[in-house]
Amino acid sequence: MNELRRLELPAEVQAPRPPRLVNLLLPARLAWRQLRAERARLWTAIAGVMFACVLVFMQLGFRAALFDSATALPQAMHGELFLINPLTTAMFRPEQFPRVRAFQTLADPDVAQAVPIYLSFGTWRNPVTGVRRTIQLVGFDTATGAVVFPGLEAVIEALKRPDTIAFDRKSRPEFGPVPQLLAERGPFEVQIADRRLELVGLIDIGPSFGADGNAVMTETNFRRIVTQRKASNTDLVALRLHPGVDIPTVAARLRQLLPADVAVLTYDELVAWERNYWETATPIGFIFMFGSLMGLVVGMVIVYQILFSDIASHIPEYATLKAMGYAHAYLRRAVMSAALLLAVLGFIPGILTSIGLYQVVAQATFLPLEMDPERGMMVFGMIFAMCAGAGLLAVRKLRDANPADMF
Amino acid sequence: MPPEGATPPVAIAGLTYAFGEGELRRPVLRDVSLQIRAGEIVLLTGPSGSGKTTLLTLIGALRAMQEGRCTVLGQELLGATEDQRVLLRRRIGFIFQQHNLLGFLTARQNVAMSLELDPRTTEAERLARAGALLEAVGLADRADALPSKLSGGQRQRVAVARALAGSPGLILADEPTAALDRVSGQEVVHLLRDLARSRGVPILLVTHDPRILDIADRIIEMEDGRILSGAPVD
Ligand SMILES: Nc1ncnc2c1ncn2[C@@H]1O[C@H](COP(=O)(O)OP(=O)(O)O)[C@@H](O)[C@H]1O
Ligand SMILES: [Mg+2]
Repeated sequence: MNELRRLELPAEVQAPRPPRLVNLLLPARLAWRQLRAERARLWTAIAGVMFACVLVFMQLGFRAALFDSATALPQAMHGELFLINPLTTAMFRPEQFPRVRAFQTLADPDVAQAVPIYLSFGTWRNPVTGVRRTIQLVGFDTATGAVVFPGLEAVIEALKRPDTIAFDRKSRPEFGPVPQLLAERGPFEVQIADRRLELVGLIDIGPSFGADGNAVMTETNFRRIVTQRKASNTDLVALRLHPGVDIPTVAARLRQLLPADVAVLTYDELVAWERNYWETATPIGFIFMFGSLMGLVVGMVIVYQILFSDIASHIPEYATLKAMGYAHAYLRRAVMSAALLLAVLGFIPGILTSIGLYQVVAQATFLPLEMDPERGMMVFGMIFAMCAGAGLLAVRKLRDANPADMF
Repeated sequence: MPPEGATPPVAIAGLTYAFGEGELRRPVLRDVSLQIRAGEIVLLTGPSGSGKTTLLTLIGALRAMQEGRCTVLGQELLGATEDQRVLLRRRIGFIFQQHNLLGFLTARQNVAMSLELDPRTTEAERLARAGALLEAVGLADRADALPSKLSGGQRQRVAVARALAGSPGLILADEPTAALDRVSGQEVVHLLRDLARSRGVPILLVTHDPRILDIADRIIEMEDGRILSGAPVD
């Protein structure tokens, strides 16, 4: 008889096989059926995961946006290599170095241009309200075309006139409705450091931690505004190389050539240098990591609670399954599947909500919040790990399901 | 009947078991010897606390052995590993006092759970077989109901179907009628007996219930951890 067939099978025939797909799918299905049966619990768990997800996305989004904007000035520059004083920590607080270093680099056949850039701060007066605010001043030989901020090209001729500046369109609104005024009146008079200047055009740089707004001008005009400084010193040098040369090779040669009072950086290194200051020398990075961690901990506690009570209320059933020949590992897989299902179910609404919130926040704060796939993957990884952690904690409760207590 | 000399489904000799350690050590089973032959229906009775449940959990590989020999479906249980015990359990059908059905699964899905451990079956086969067993216990029309929608007797019948679904070589039941009224209790055990008989599966059933003694081939009485008698029923 068919039913008797298994009686005669020696035990070895049914020895455990290596895990196959079925061995993962069946526990996952059991987990899903159990989750689905308790709607209120399921929604609570999904809401918990979603909450953690949104919190982490917001923290990471703010963090990235702040660091991006912190490096707005170096990012806006075009140059293959840069010279800075190794003691410079950030662009808003540059250490000067001899301008002659710029000209020394021209000894290298691959260096086409060397443009000294002068950085300082001045007090800007809001042209409408008259309120004063500190603005970053960026001066360099705008006519060389070596440093190209977006929009600069259109105003190069106008900037050649004495006492003219170009204003950063992305400066914070506290500086006044400059683009609007410019459109209405054409070039108009503004005041920086008690000096009357003509605002002739707009360029794009963006505010940062160090500076709420920027003004760009020629080297000559810079010197008229900033009078108290040694003319032979500069703050930053942008180097343009001939097309097609190997940048690291040139950088290595320049390091040989120049004395130790300047560092030679590539574009990426310059941005990283600036970013590194804000990440390590300020608590900003830590604050956001802490915020993300809190979100994950709260999410983990919620998921753990749900999984734990799900197991606790099914102890006799789990013990029965064990009596029927289900291995402890099978039930563990079911609990872990439930945890990972919750990760997926919570992540999807979580990322959608975050994309919406990014847009709302970007409009309110002018910070460039954007969802990028890399961050999406990273947060999914975190949420996955969070749920897996909760699952591993909850799995211990399965020990209470002892089939010997069932009779 | 199997030929003389073939190993019986259950063969126990000199089984001794105690709970607790040291000072608190209390023997519960003393030198128990027992054989169940193929297709035999054996009832185990005796006062509460005499060790019936403990004996059942040892035979069912739900507990590790301490002393003596106990061979179940060809597997020696003394010194058996956890994996060996888990594998043996798959070849035994259990029926408990409480039905212990999974509340979030339908009757059919509950029965199919005991087939999911066999990787050779497909989902369609499992559901078809579960349906056939529910029909055999008279629940064809309730196959897709959740346990909460079934009466106590119906639930226990689902549990019977589940115990039989995996084509077990042995059925162990501990007071399966205790939570049922007289009529449904009778129904369930008679169903169990008929299905087991037609498949040639032996049953070891613990009961206090004098009204179901008529299903037995043999009644064994226990007292204070010892077997008193094993008289065959005529
Ligand atoms: N898990 C346990 N730990 C300690 N003692 C137990 C345990 N289970 C049962 N006992 C004791 O073992 C004895 C036999 O119990 P049991 O096998 O349940 O008897 P029966 O099923 O015949 O009523 C009882 O005295 C009981 O108190
Ligand atoms: Mg008992």
